[in-house]
Amino acid sequence: MARRVLYIEDDADIGKWVKEDLERRGYEVDWLVSGEEAAARVAQADLVVLDVMLPGLDGFTVGRRLKKEAPNVPILMLSARTAVDDKLQGLQFADDYLTKPFHPDELAARLEVLQRRAGLSSGEPLVCAHLLIHPEQQRVVDSRTGEEISLTAKQLQILFYFLRNRGQILTKEQIYEAVWGEPYMDGDKTVNVHIRYLRERIELDPSDPRIIETIRGIGYRVRP
Amino acid sequence: MKQKRRRLSLRNSLLTKYFLIVLSAMLILPIGFPAILVVMTLQAHGGDRLADGVYNSSALEKMWHAEAAKLADASPESVDEALRRLKEQYPKAAMFWVDQTGATRLKLPQTLELPSEWSVPYTIQFMKEASSGSGNYSVVAFLGDQPETGSFMTLQIPRSEMPKAGSPFNARSTAILYSSLLAVLGLFLFISLLFFYRIRKRLVRLETAMTTPAETGIPSPVAAQRLDEIGRLEHAFNDMIAKLERSREREAQEEALRRDLIAKLSHDLRTPLTAIRGHAFGLQQEALSEKGRESLALIDRKIDSLGRLIDNLFSFTLLASGQYPYKPQRVDIVRMARTQLAGWYPAFEQEGFEIDSDLPEEAVYWEVDTQWLERVLDNYLQNVLRHAKSGRCVALRVFAEAGGRIVVADRGPGMNAESMEKGAGIGLSIAALMLKDMKLRSVVRSGPLGTEVHISRL
Repeated sequence: MARRVLYIEDDADIGKWVKEDLERRGYEVDWLVSGEEAAARVAQADLVVLDVMLPGLDGFTVGRRLKKEAPNVPILMLSARTAVDDKLQGLQFADDYLTKPFHPDELAARLEVLQRRAGLSSGEPLVCAHLLIHPEQQRVVDSRTGEEISLTAKQLQILFYFLRNRGQILTKEQIYEAVWGEPYMDGDKTVNVHIRYLRERIELDPSDPRIIETIRGIGYRVRP
Repeated sequence: MKQKRRRLSLRNSLLTKYFLIVLSAMLILPIGFPAILVVMTLQAHGGDRLADGVYNSSALEKMWHAEAAKLADASPESVDEALRRLKEQYPKAAMFWVDQTGATRLKLPQTLELPSEWSVPYTIQFMKEASSGSGNYSVVAFLGDQPETGSFMTLQIPRSEMPKAGSPFNARSTAILYSSLLAVLGLFLFISLLFFYRIRKRLVRLETAMTTPAETGIPSPVAAQRLDEIGRLEHAFNDMIAKLERSREREAQEEALRRDLIAKLSHDLRTPLTAIRGHAFGLQQEALSEKGRESLALIDRKIDSLGRLIDNLFSFTLLASGQYPYKPQRVDIVRMARTQLAGWYPAFEQEGFEIDSDLPEEAVYWEVDTQWLERVLDNYLQNVLRHAKSGRCVALRVFAEAGGRIVVADRGPGMNAESMEKGAGIGLSIAALMLKDMKLRSVVRSGPLGTEVHISRL
């Protein structure tokens, strides 16, 4: 199934190029040169790529409007501006941010990440090593035996947090605050302990973990 | 700009008021003092009594002689009667009369100690006492006001009831005189004090207004009611405030304009750069010679470095003009360093770097803007990635000792080596400016075996 991208860009040169590049990569691109009609088209899109400097409506205004219209569609902001306040203002509604001149490979990679994150709530099963994960039913199955692996609520939450941020290194502070929802306390070992138990459930050899990788002194990572 | 000039009229001047006060004081002394004297003298001669039952000697003497004159050929009975009548009028006075034989007749009151017969020595003694000013005040008048009649009547009043000798006034009137003078002097002092107090109050009010800035940092205008010198000062102060406000607004507008200009300029520079990248990327898909591919790779790198250069240039402009938002807060630098390294990890990993992190378990807090410190670390880590590839090693360490220290280290060829791309200089300048504003300092130790950047508190 082709993934639909709503692309809003006023510059004809860049617009043409990005549209062609994304189409080559298998996306269906709906390119608008201004933000006026965007709100009407967002419902049909899976992803939004939005340029900040738009004629007429300001990119931030368009972004907020789109988020209101379709809160589940991820928005990637493209900006040629660098002032810090732009960054903060943009990130309030945008899911990611890329400054010009961006590399097309990077844009594609970011879109993949956004999709994967959105896909976690779309119901399609995910594959991770020997695991088959059904996000909607919160179920993890061993793909070799077809048996369900039972995990505690916290273990599931941690695993899903890793899957939402695949490829990123997550520090214990980030994990704790995302899963427990409260500020991390200095020296707390909770995350380490939970990850040890989680590895005992999902790793083939918990002493040589392959799914949740330890980055010494920094954190953990689940590779894409 | 049109200058509003208020003309100072003489009527409104403080100087005029001051002259009026001084002038009135100068007039009160030479005019007021004699005026009081005149009033008191007039009172003194107006009747036989002064204030509060005090007798007026000259009036009494006149009266006594007039009464005696009326009794020129009167019978002893009518003289008695006249004395009794007078006694009623002057209850505090003692009266008696002596006939031509020298016999004391009527004594009022009866208790008066007098001889019944007046001898010549006694008479002389009596007159001596009466005129010496000691004892009672006495008035002696011959009946009919003629010494030939030989009989006389005497009026005696205690000295305490009479004014002091040598003055037409008694002690009381002197006190009144002095207290009136004091009152006049006091009034003058009070008025001049009031005059200066009010000036002072207004000056203090103005001073308070000047030293109490409103939220904008500029004092609020004061209410100017009068048109005198201080009123004019208040008006001038308000004019100045208005001018300051206007210039502040203009400054804010210019600042916003400049930020906007920088943002637009950045956009206008980056947009064609993005288009160039697009076309270069398009060319890559075509069949190209090895040389062509190399050129494209170079174009791609140059686009990246130009993009960074634009970013740094605008950041530097904002930073140097103090318009880069700075929001310091208490930040755990251990945690920040870890998050930062986590973000950079994949990039270093891809380039085959060995990544060494040495972070303490406990938190170390600094009072900085997270975004600023992140940007500084980004800058150093970016430099390692770009210029220290040969060493294949990056280390980020945090030490808790002595207020905390962050160290970024590599095993590259050192900062003096030729690998420095152009554009790195401005990035380091930004880092230096930011560190200075955050009250941090960086010490760079660079040699052929690597570079270490130590960031610590001042």
